[in-house]
Amino acid sequence: MNESEIIRDILDGDREKFRLLVEKYQPLVFRTCIGFVHDKDDADDLTQEVFIQAYQSLSRFRSDSAFSTWLYRIAVNASLNSVRRSSKNFIIQRFNSLFGSEKTNDIHVSLADSDNPEDILVRKEHISWVQKALDSLPENQRTAIILSKYDDLSQKEIAAIMNISEGAVESLLQRAKRNLRGKLSAGRGKNP
Amino acid sequence: MNCQLCQKNLDAYHEGRLSPDIRNQVESHLKTCDSCKQIYNVLLLADRVVEMERNTDTDPFLVTRVMAGIASLETAGHESESGFIRMLRPVLIAASMAAAVFLGVLAGNLSRPAGNTAEIPVELALINDAVLESVDVLSIE
Repeated sequence: MNESEIIRDILDGDREKFRLLVEKYQPLVFRTCIGFVHDKDDADDLTQEVFIQAYQSLSRFRSDSAFSTWLYRIAVNASLNSVRRSSKNFIIQRFNSLFGSEKTNDIHVSLADSDNPEDILVRKEHISWVQKALDSLPENQRTAIILSKYDDLSQKEIAAIMNISEGAVESLLQRAKRNLRGKLSAGRGKNP
Repeated sequence: MNCQLCQKNLDAYHEGRLSPDIRNQVESHLKTCDSCKQIYNVLLLADRVVEMERNTDTDPFLVTRVMAGIASLETAGHESESGFIRMLRPVLIAASMAAAVFLGVLAGNLSRPAGNTAEIPVELALINDAVLESVDVLSIE
């Protein structure tokens, strides 16, 4: 059964068929979301939100683009909205961190080469530093670089998702890399 | 190769897009220049962070969560619809009762003769009932 048949069945009321689409595209959506939010639990929640949004607006999907392209658009928009909401809650987060209730991210530790607590701490600091540099990029540059690095998409695919030309994507990626390198190099006092 | 040229080619070197000749020059420079080496290490670190996040396992119950979320959304939709009907029911009953009464009155009026067409006899019309004695007076007598 191909994708358009599945979609037609879902629109005809066979809700269970949506499970097939979720199973197929779950890694794709999750990778995009975690690129924006850098937290496993937040990315899981966001992935769920993306699929529910996709289900609700499935009747608006037009087959002139691939289903994955349409889903990427929803994932990018939901992630950007989530990031915007998070930045609005920045003061609350700072307040929480002052009282030690800031969420710790268990995926950070796995990058450490050794089990030495000091090494782990330094690595966590470096990871946080890279994530902050990525988050500080303008939205369109960040979107382009996440789709390129996290999802391994070609410039043509990124252009279709962002609804811009391939040339514009190339330019965005170049600027994003330059900015990222500049931001990371500027903080070389605590480099690896 | 100087630092400026090395850093200009660093992204391409990192992505494996350089010709063998220039790649060798960059590699030689990186071996001797700490500053450029540090920048290159930063790029490697960024790669590792991306790779680490990419390889994070997704929630094994995500599909179930999504399907449950969709089911609850649809249930909520039905409930809100039936709640609306439940709220509207007394109004509907009152309106239908009023309509029934109105139709009853209308039907009753339709079945009544439009007017008393039978002519009153002239004798009866001329009777002056003011001079007739009341039945009550007759019964007293």
